[in-house]
Amino acid sequence: MNLKRLFRRSAEDADLSAELESHLAHEIDDNLARGMSPEEARRQAYIKLGNPQRIRDQVWEMNRIAWLEDTWRDFRYAARVLAKAPGFTLVALLVMALGIGANTAIYSFLDSLLLRSLPVSDPASLVVLNWHAKPAQQDFVMQSMSGDVEDDPKLGSVSGIFPYPAFEILQKSDAVFSDVFAYCHTREVRAVSVAVNGQADTAAGELVSGTYFQGLGVAPFAGRVVLPDDDRVGAANVVVVSHAYAEKRFGAAASVTGRLILINNLPFTVIGVTPPDFFGVDPSSVPDFFVPMHANLVLGAGDAFGFQPADYLDRNYYWVETMARLRPGVSLEQAQAQLAPRFQHWVATTAQNDQQRANLPVLYLKQGAGGLDTLRRQFSKPLYVLMTLVALILAIACSNVANLLLVRAASRRREIALRLTEGASRWRVARQLLTESVLLAALGGALGVLVALGGIRFLTVLLAGGSNQDLLRAELNWHVLAVTAGLALLTGMAFGLVPALQSTKVDLVDALKETRGSQPRPRHGRFNFLPISVNQALVVGQIAISLLILVAAGLFVRTLSNLQSVNLGFNRENLLLFQLNATQSGHRNPEIADFYGRVRQRLAEIPGVQSVGLARGSLIGGEDQMPISRPGAPPDRATRYLTVGPQFLTTMQIPILSGRDVEESDRPGTPSVAVINERFAKINFPGENPLGKHLILGINPGRDMEIVGVARSAHYGDLRRETPPVVYIPYNQGYPLPNEMTFALRIKGDPLAFVNTVREIVHQADAGLPLSEVRTQKAEIGDAMHQETVLAELCSAFAMLALTIACVGLYGTISYTVARRTGEIGIRMALGAQRGPVLWMVLREVVVLAAVGLAISLPVALGTSKFVESFLFGMKPNDPVALGTAIGILLVAALLAGCVPARRAAQIDPMTALRHE
Amino acid sequence: MADRTNSEMVQGTLDMLILRTLVTGPAHGHTIAHVIEHMSENVLEVEQGSLYPGLHRLEHRGWVTSYWGTSENNRKAKFYKLTAAGRKQLTTETDRWRLVVAAIGRILGETP
Repeated sequence: MNLKRLFRRSAEDADLSAELESHLAHEIDDNLARGMSPEEARRQAYIKLGNPQRIRDQVWEMNRIAWLEDTWRDFRYAARVLAKAPGFTLVALLVMALGIGANTAIYSFLDSLLLRSLPVSDPASLVVLNWHAKPAQQDFVMQSMSGDVEDDPKLGSVSGIFPYPAFEILQKSDAVFSDVFAYCHTREVRAVSVAVNGQADTAAGELVSGTYFQGLGVAPFAGRVVLPDDDRVGAANVVVVSHAYAEKRFGAAASVTGRLILINNLPFTVIGVTPPDFFGVDPSSVPDFFVPMHANLVLGAGDAFGFQPADYLDRNYYWVETMARLRPGVSLEQAQAQLAPRFQHWVATTAQNDQQRANLPVLYLKQGAGGLDTLRRQFSKPLYVLMTLVALILAIACSNVANLLLVRAASRRREIALRLTEGASRWRVARQLLTESVLLAALGGALGVLVALGGIRFLTVLLAGGSNQDLLRAELNWHVLAVTAGLALLTGMAFGLVPALQSTKVDLVDALKETRGSQPRPRHGRFNFLPISVNQALVVGQIAISLLILVAAGLFVRTLSNLQSVNLGFNRENLLLFQLNATQSGHRNPEIADFYGRVRQRLAEIPGVQSVGLARGSLIGGEDQMPISRPGAPPDRATRYLTVGPQFLTTMQIPILSGRDVEESDRPGTPSVAVINERFAKINFPGENPLGKHLILGINPGRDMEIVGVARSAHYGDLRRETPPVVYIPYNQGYPLPNEMTFALRIKGDPLAFVNTVREIVHQADAGLPLSEVRTQKAEIGDAMHQETVLAELCSAFAMLALTIACVGLYGTISYTVARRTGEIGIRMALGAQRGPVLWMVLREVVVLAAVGLAISLPVALGTSKFVESFLFGMKPNDPVALGTAIGILLVAALLAGCVPARRAAQIDPMTALRHE
Repeated sequence: MADRTNSEMVQGTLDMLILRTLVTGPAHGHTIAHVIEHMSENVLEVEQGSLYPGLHRLEHRGWVTSYWGTSENNRKAKFYKLTAAGRKQLTTETDRWRLVVAAIGRILGETP
């Protein structure tokens, strides 16, 4: 009814009303002429016409049905037309499906990454508590920590970890928060052994405050959640397991309540199971189980570096992460304004000197609806880069299809002109043409959904790197599908509108005079003041965009090859790595060092194993830092250390420049030794022989070590960073005491062939000890370069795609020109033109189009490449090699695409061409 | 008006008749109704309520076009004009109509 009323107001209805008025007036005139009284004349006229309102309704209804019928007829006609040109339709559909599919796939990742909320009640009122401070190179109130501190370009050092006393203070912020809760995954729970019915396995746990589940508003799937009374010193050992972990270890989630499991050999009672869709608060790390915060006292009890009761009171030890729920009506800004001064006041009392007071951490709140933004930080930037690239590809695809349509429209000029002369309005014909392109785009979009389904699966594996696939869970939801549908419609309009308007602007007489076989005359675009046609403008655009993608691909490929050619300083081939943490099965100091030694001995006896090394971690997995210096000298913060077993450097094939490697003879009780790398020697012993000199590790009194060797600098830590000064120290000569260890086996042959033997030997040494992170050194390095590899590969594929589409467009346009000018070229050749100049005449158009495209996009490429600077390694954003290569490839591809029609032009036979006319 | 059944027209014939009246030149709705009634010697009475939807339908199909002009009574009126497509349509319709009439005539003639 509303629609009717809307329609009534429209011009068409007003027109009809006027028409009916006019009819009545004429009828009344007639009736008066017949001698009726004015009243009677009027009455009779109305009776004869009937109710004007009804007529108006009838016409409205008719128009509505007619509109639907027209649309249906348009679609059927469009389908027939498309089916009649299967080649064109197939190419256009393929181009659209790839363009729309790629966009849908990448968008679905962005959608799930940026827009997904935690599966908890009212996620919008959750906030994450953070602090920021100037990057602390010097003394800082955070004396020790367990957790992450990130570098933020704007805020400096940013972190979400707080001392426990700070959490207790924040918990009293009743005015703004209804709940405040804490969680963390310190090493007591991060990777622990969990035994169910005697079967041990490694699992990841989360320490949660008693208010955690209440604060999030998560109800248990079975049993109960951790409550405040569970989270105190001396409470019973209880654990809540995740739904997935319960299914994995117990087979059924509903019946595990009350079961007893061993966590690091300590008995814990399962009190409940979390709901299936609950994954904690950090989408990037999904815990298998949740234990009360204070359980870390029990779990850390046997460990010399384990959690100490005093840590709960330490105001300079940062380790708990905190979230809170805003009270209704309180905004994030209000809460921050209230709490920041309170935190400021408290943290000032923890500073011990002026230097610390000068750079106090500042509290700030972040939205918590999406949980912690670890994943977002990790993936959103590469996804934005990919999104931009696929959007550009879609633009190329659209302009290509528009070009195809233009060429087609030119050959359909007779048909269109005929329809126009038959009285169809220009709008009617344009609408018909638009329907064709929208139908194309809709079909392309439907195919695109299929492409997207495959693309999502492919990208999930590619982006997450196989290791942590369940982190990124993109799916096609209604939200994404709506965007796809919109995209398809929009692209259909975008590439259909210009050709539709162009081709309905036909000079009827001209068009009809054309014979069926002849080519239409050169038609210039709407903007006649430009010396190029719409076709050419579209091709120039495609070339310009292709260059952008080529440059991006060039930058990423060069980055990858720079990374791959980084001189590691050790031999990555034929190395098998795996990790053991013997504390999980009850080994304690000092026996644990002997245990690792025995395992190493047995592994070395395997035939085919050349040597075995062990170290606290792998060389590229991370880095350890503690103050190390010459006696009396201030420690250098850049210095890193690594605790290693005998023959570690030999195993890694890091050359010893002078002195010796750490050997079997360096054991507990013998004098403490150290091996330094070249860099450390240069910085700390310039012009001296470091052999025999001493180093102090730690403070009062510290570990006094004699330097027994200097090794060539080899990579340690992040591949993208320069090799730091490193000190290698035996793992069994005192502080820091061994905990988990990474074994490295130098093997003759395929390292993975030895995995089963290695497992067996470890099982014989301790049946309750799980092996973890088994991989080759090469694979580990490959993983570390994962993001670069993905960007380089995807970008290269995109660049190929863009270039192919652009070249097809170029080829089409040039072929069209040649076909159009066949007669002219024939005359030229009949008048004595040589094949060379004719070839050049055609190629000149190619060169001009490519040059214009380059001229447009080069400045854009130069201006935008700094946005990807953070992805680059070993070069500047405007890398001349990448730019030069991109331009070169583009020009060669353009000339190749132009060559075929140019040769065709040069081979035109004058006689045939003239007869053709 | 007394004998309404006489005036009821076969579906679709109104369109044909309208097109036919326009062959002689543009006309407005009131005239068209009168011409049809007059030419059929008042056998066919155009139901004026269905005339206008019919005109709009024809215009929509591109068989007639319309413009506002001044009538013989010196009043504003909307005039309809036959298009080339309309002319073609009229020929088709007329041929078909003749066929149908002839067929029906044969049937009626053979039936006792």
